[in-house]
Amino acid sequence: MVNELQPLPTVQEIVTLALSIITSRTFLEIIVFPGFLNVMLGAAFLTWLERKVIARVQLRIGPLYAGMWGILQPIADGVKLMFKEMIFPERADAKLLMLCALGLMLLAAAPVVPIPFGDGLVIADMDVGLIYVFAVISLFPTVILLIGWGSNSKYSFLGALRSLFQQVAYEIPMWLSVLGIIMLTGTLNLAKIVEAQQKVWFVVPQILGFVVFFTAVLAELERTPFDLPEAEPELVMGWMTELTGVAFMVGFLAMYTKLYLMSALITALFLGGWSGPAILPQPVWFLLKTFLVASSVVIIRGSFPRVRVDILLRSAWTRLLLVAFANIFVTVGVIWLGLGGIWRI
Amino acid sequence: MADVVFLALSGLIIASAILALEARELIYGAIWLAISLMGVAGVFILLGAEYVAMFQVAVYVGAVVVLIMFTIMLVHRESGRIVDEEGPGRLGRAGAFVAGLVALTVAVATILLTPVSPAAPEFYRVALPELGRLLASSYSIALVILGLLIGATVIGALTLAKVEREGEPDGTVE
Repeated sequence: MVNELQPLPTVQEIVTLALSIITSRTFLEIIVFPGFLNVMLGAAFLTWLERKVIARVQLRIGPLYAGMWGILQPIADGVKLMFKEMIFPERADAKLLMLCALGLMLLAAAPVVPIPFGDGLVIADMDVGLIYVFAVISLFPTVILLIGWGSNSKYSFLGALRSLFQQVAYEIPMWLSVLGIIMLTGTLNLAKIVEAQQKVWFVVPQILGFVVFFTAVLAELERTPFDLPEAEPELVMGWMTELTGVAFMVGFLAMYTKLYLMSALITALFLGGWSGPAILPQPVWFLLKTFLVASSVVIIRGSFPRVRVDILLRSAWTRLLLVAFANIFVTVGVIWLGLGGIWRI
Repeated sequence: MADVVFLALSGLIIASAILALEARELIYGAIWLAISLMGVAGVFILLGAEYVAMFQVAVYVGAVVVLIMFTIMLVHRESGRIVDEEGPGRLGRAGAFVAGLVALTVAVATILLTPVSPAAPEFYRVALPELGRLLASSYSIALVILGLLIGATVIGALTLAKVEREGEPDGTVE
């Protein structure tokens, strides 16, 4: 019996293999665009954009000194938070808090998977993409409730309870408001939904659905006028109160990641996704629209007061739900009259 | 490959289910339950039923586990645990034993009666529009009955809250 030794792979072979993996399309899509780097940089950019826009609304200048127009401010903030001491309250569940902050980041970044940033520029082109996004969104209250409970602080717990009520209440009009689109296109695949909007964007025929969805997204993001979970004069910072240092940074970045990807979802569902005149490449159009949606969320924060908690819940269960149902019936009528043909995939 | 993933998922599901029952703090039990249910969603994906997997996550983890956690937190704010020192009574133990026996019998019978197939055959992979049509026509009654799931969860959560609040005078769980 002859034992033939396999020749060891040479350094060159290993390098070529590594290079072929790194330059493969799948790897680049997951790590660079539209995956990891895109999400992280987009969220960091949004923290800067929010501070700049809100400063303009309030007649201030905003971040100025770090880099040109203060563009490097997110990096400075990140370094500052990383070197801060982590303080946990007595009898707080520190391990649970850290784990939940990381889980929140994971959940916030997960919706990027089925969102098409260009024609074919999507990590996983799944047929159940829209339901996948909603399933991920429905997991947020779990983690936020755990953070609020694990902090062993009244502010955190009250913030988490408010967040739970709000998110559970607004999830229902959110699901219902996209039913019109699903009925018109006959698909749950986000890439196909974008393709269906090449002639007319869904913001035109589905204007009611758009209004409901946008409002529900504001509530899901805990943004003004629905920022009761972190109402500063009452609850310090809501469920984030007891997060410090790196845990706070991760939780904070997770909320901006959620804002970024929810804006991207609105773009893909209602604003035609990557479609636009060919003077600019498709991903640029997509990012432009996404940051426009995010800026309008910020401008709303600068312009409106916070609503009362009873108004918040009543408007979700009575008004928004009614409008969402009205949208569904109108869409059914349009399809019944045979006018929905141009959006059918 | 699929076998390895399936074995890993099954191990995760069983281990986290046991941990959910054995956890000292009720809230950790709820977390393990959520992990176990996510594992079940993974098995659905492995079988090519992504649609079912997404709803498994959205309904069971997103709604049922949240409701359970919410109840636990509202009722046990101080210590965060139910410490039922006396344990279930004789009737409770007998009931649990019978229920466990029935569940085990059904599970074993199902395993023995199902023909062994290495992978999900093609006809299980129904296209989404077709699935929707079937759910709204042939299986509409089953769909409506499934809708009662959340109702059952709410009743369970309310019972958990009620038992603890009325606790002291007339003996808790019994």
